Amino acid sequence: MMPSLPIWQFDLPLLVLVVLFAVVALSIRNLMGAAIVFGAYSFMMCLIWAGMGAVDVAFTEAAVGAGVSTVFIVSTIYNTSATMKRRPGGMAFKLFIGVVVTVAGGFLLSALPDFPDWGDPNSPVNATVAPYYITHSIPDTHVPNLVTSVLADYRGFDTLLETVVVFIACIGIYSILRIEPARTSIDETDEEIAAPASYDPTDSLIVRQASRFMVPFMQLFALYVIAHGHYSPGGGFQGGVILGASLILLAVSFDLKFLLSRWREKSLMLLVATGVGLYAAVGLACLFMGGNFLDYGTLDAVLPGKQDMARSHGILLVEIGVGITVMFSMLAIHINLASNGRLERGL
Amino acid sequence: MENLIANFNYVIVVILMMIGLWSMLAQKNLIKKCIGMAIFQTGIILFFISIGAKRGAKVPILTGDEAPVVEQLANPLTQILMLTAIVVGVATLGMALALAQKIYRQHASFDEDEILENQRK
Repeated sequence: MMPSLPIWQFDLPLLVLVVLFAVVALSIRNLMGAAIVFGAYSFMMCLIWAGMGAVDVAFTEAAVGAGVSTVFIVSTIYNTSATMKRRPGGMAFKLFIGVVVTVAGGFLLSALPDFPDWGDPNSPVNATVAPYYITHSIPDTHVPNLVTSVLADYRGFDTLLETVVVFIACIGIYSILRIEPARTSIDETDEEIAAPASYDPTDSLIVRQASRFMVPFMQLFALYVIAHGHYSPGGGFQGGVILGASLILLAVSFDLKFLLSRWREKSLMLLVATGVGLYAAVGLACLFMGGNFLDYGTLDAVLPGKQDMARSHGILLVEIGVGITVMFSMLAIHINLASNGRLERGL
Repeated sequence: MENLIANFNYVIVVILMMIGLWSMLAQKNLIKKCIGMAIFQTGIILFFISIGAKRGAKVPILTGDEAPVVEQLANPLTQILMLTAIVVGVATLGMALALAQKIYRQHASFDEDEILENQRK
């Protein structure tokens, strides 16, 4: 392979395909179609990232981008409308925006020669702090998956606050959609969307039995992903999203009532907060043991093993916290979007 | 030209960001705006993953007991930054969709012009 060529041979066609999918997703007039093409776009993207060695990121994107975010868009469309109005004119405005965007893109492209070559191991990004993480992960934390050790240990603050952002977004969606006064006249859209009595899609025996069979295995796999994140791709974020997706599958294949009879709204929100709380509590415990916030090494007095094993176990605790928050916030976001905030019935 | 092929993914990053920005500004439909936002975001993630990639490198998971060779493992730092960004991205997408749904509740439309007309009334 020529040294000037990209690192992975399939990258060129995949990158072109990604742009194609993006354009198709934005030009389809049916919004349901756009959502599905966007899912395919995310999946292509995940292949590209896997090719560049970012397996954890690809895993997350496969679960989140191609899976859950497509479900979110579809459930929004379910409660609203899937058609776009065809409006004549407006070409001048679109052309103007096109010029603005082209100028902005031109500036970015003009900076292109300043970038280090694609895949250069000595570029500033790869040569400054990253080698420390690569060489010190095993002696410091005993975690072979470098992404996990950097995620939960070296960059623990970052991950804590990202988890808080997910928590806040979940609360935000609750306060946007859930709190509502009496029904307004416009608010009767779901009556006309509801399927006729002769065909109730939630009543499909095959779908129900198949998902009843799949859900336990999905959850088992997700628990494996969280617990085995130290040694293989995975961790709290991916496992949490898969756990959330398994419950979303239940909500879609049975109905929302079935799910909400098992997970009450109040307990859902409590669990979302519990995950963040567990993460912060581990950090505070380190503080009480005389170390810095999120310095798991000081936990060796209470956790088994020496200091490096204590950091490994601290990472596991933190990943469990992340998993709980992500799982239930995905579920809470879905039930709000799918039922238009009423939590009665929905997709 | 050779530089263009060697840095092809940076070009794609810029194109994806242009597509996303155009969609957010020019499209009238709110859902299309949300999808454009997500495309813009994946463009940025692709940029981070690209600068962290190394030619001929393996995934950043150590095997066996031998000491890790820095040049042969992909950069884990950019990967974790983007891993969390993806999950935060889906949360913000959900937020944007919730806002769109709330607007639909008020105006029974996703069309920007119609919403503005409704508001002037």
